[in-house]
Amino acid sequence: MQKQQMPEGLQDPAQPAAARVMRSPSSLDLEITARCNLRCRYCYFFNNPAVEYLDLPTDEWLKFFDELGSLGVMSVTLAGGEPFIREDLPLLLAGIVRNRMRFSLLSNGALIGDEIATYIAGTGRCEHVQVSVDGSCAAVHDSCRGKGSFDGAIRGIRTLQRHGIHVAVRVTIHRNNVHDLENIARFLLEDLGLPGFGTNAAGYLGACCANAGDVLLNIEELNEAMASLLRLAAKYPGRISASAGPLAEGRVWRRMEDARAQGQPAFHNGGRLTACGCTNIKIAVRADGAIVPCNMLNHVELGRINRNSLAEIWQHSPVLNQLRSRHSIPLTEFEFCAGCPYVPYCTGNCPGLAYTLTGKVDHPSPDACLRRFLEQGGAIP
Amino acid sequence: MNQTDRPIANPSVVLREEFDDWAVLFNPDTADAVGTNPVGVAIWKRMDGKRSLEDIVSEIRTSFEDTPDAVFKEIAAFVNILEEKGFVGLELDAKAADA
Repeated sequence: MQKQQMPEGLQDPAQPAAARVMRSPSSLDLEITARCNLRCRYCYFFNNPAVEYLDLPTDEWLKFFDELGSLGVMSVTLAGGEPFIREDLPLLLAGIVRNRMRFSLLSNGALIGDEIATYIAGTGRCEHVQVSVDGSCAAVHDSCRGKGSFDGAIRGIRTLQRHGIHVAVRVTIHRNNVHDLENIARFLLEDLGLPGFGTNAAGYLGACCANAGDVLLNIEELNEAMASLLRLAAKYPGRISASAGPLAEGRVWRRMEDARAQGQPAFHNGGRLTACGCTNIKIAVRADGAIVPCNMLNHVELGRINRNSLAEIWQHSPVLNQLRSRHSIPLTEFEFCAGCPYVPYCTGNCPGLAYTLTGKVDHPSPDACLRRFLEQGGAIP
Repeated sequence: MNQTDRPIANPSVVLREEFDDWAVLFNPDTADAVGTNPVGVAIWKRMDGKRSLEDIVSEIRTSFEDTPDAVFKEIAAFVNILEEKGFVGLELDAKAADA
């Protein structure tokens, strides 16, 4: 006999009663292929010395999807490489649907044709297909992605739109498109009629490391990108989003500077390595079947699909649990943060970028450091 | 075809039982999710198309302490909400279906 409340109080599923880790991840990021039809100059995926670039056969993924279904996983994001390059994509999607999951796809758009779009629409389970668009015209977009890639992306978007599939465009900001942001916003939101788009920035990961000088924004360009994006976000309310990159930084840094200037108390997630919380919600798999905490931490192998139990890794992996306990590490422990007035308002930022830039996961990332930005001549718009 | 009074869970809906007596019902066809507590989970697991609402209420009264007088009404309201969201249907009458 249990003593419990009656079920009339339907609760918000986004608010679990306590911060304990769920029994299984609610979603997974899956790099279903290591192949891609493009070689973008800032791709985080390629040129990672810790990664073996292999594709798993169909059966391996289908078996893994059965495990995800048994664990009650709700959604998967299929990426790569380029997921549409897999000839067996309909079979994989059928396995996802059979196991009661929804899915999203991250793509460059060029390989999306009517046949696969018809199939995706018919599943009724597609959250969105994200297509990367980095410019308002071929000259800008193709500068980092290769000749013909702009036409392919736009053709893919129009195909998805024709089939009623939700298109989510991502604009990665770099040195070659930072002056084109106004045109990009007008092109995506007005000419293509998209409801919105997301932005981030090329980061010091993968292939970008070899091209950093040509690709990554310098301080002047970062200033320009932040100012442009904040202006455009005001012009198109609610239609331009960002969880990283200049727009996100511009918004967060304004809040941090306001709080510092007014002597406000520390943010609830400030002063410790609280970024990011993804490891409490989801986990990732590389194209070769290695289970990793996140695709930004592809070198941290936790096990292999169909050889190791995902539930066991999720609940008991010491490495994963150590990552989850990152949030208890105070920023004041780091020489890097010594004397910084923004510590009470800072989360330490992306652990993946922290690793590639400092060689340590448990370290603040210099990439989104407000003090460093200001010291180098940056100004918060 | 006639519907019975026996609720049946939509087989597409996923039940995620979490720690701390918390659970989520997730409908992958609509992306709708409902959070609920152990009583809601117990009701969900009994909606097999074989039990009537009265059967389910009776079993809940047996399994849980201090069930309120209005338990039938509360459980019926819960099932109605799930029905409106497409999480639950009513089993069809087998004889009518055969005919």
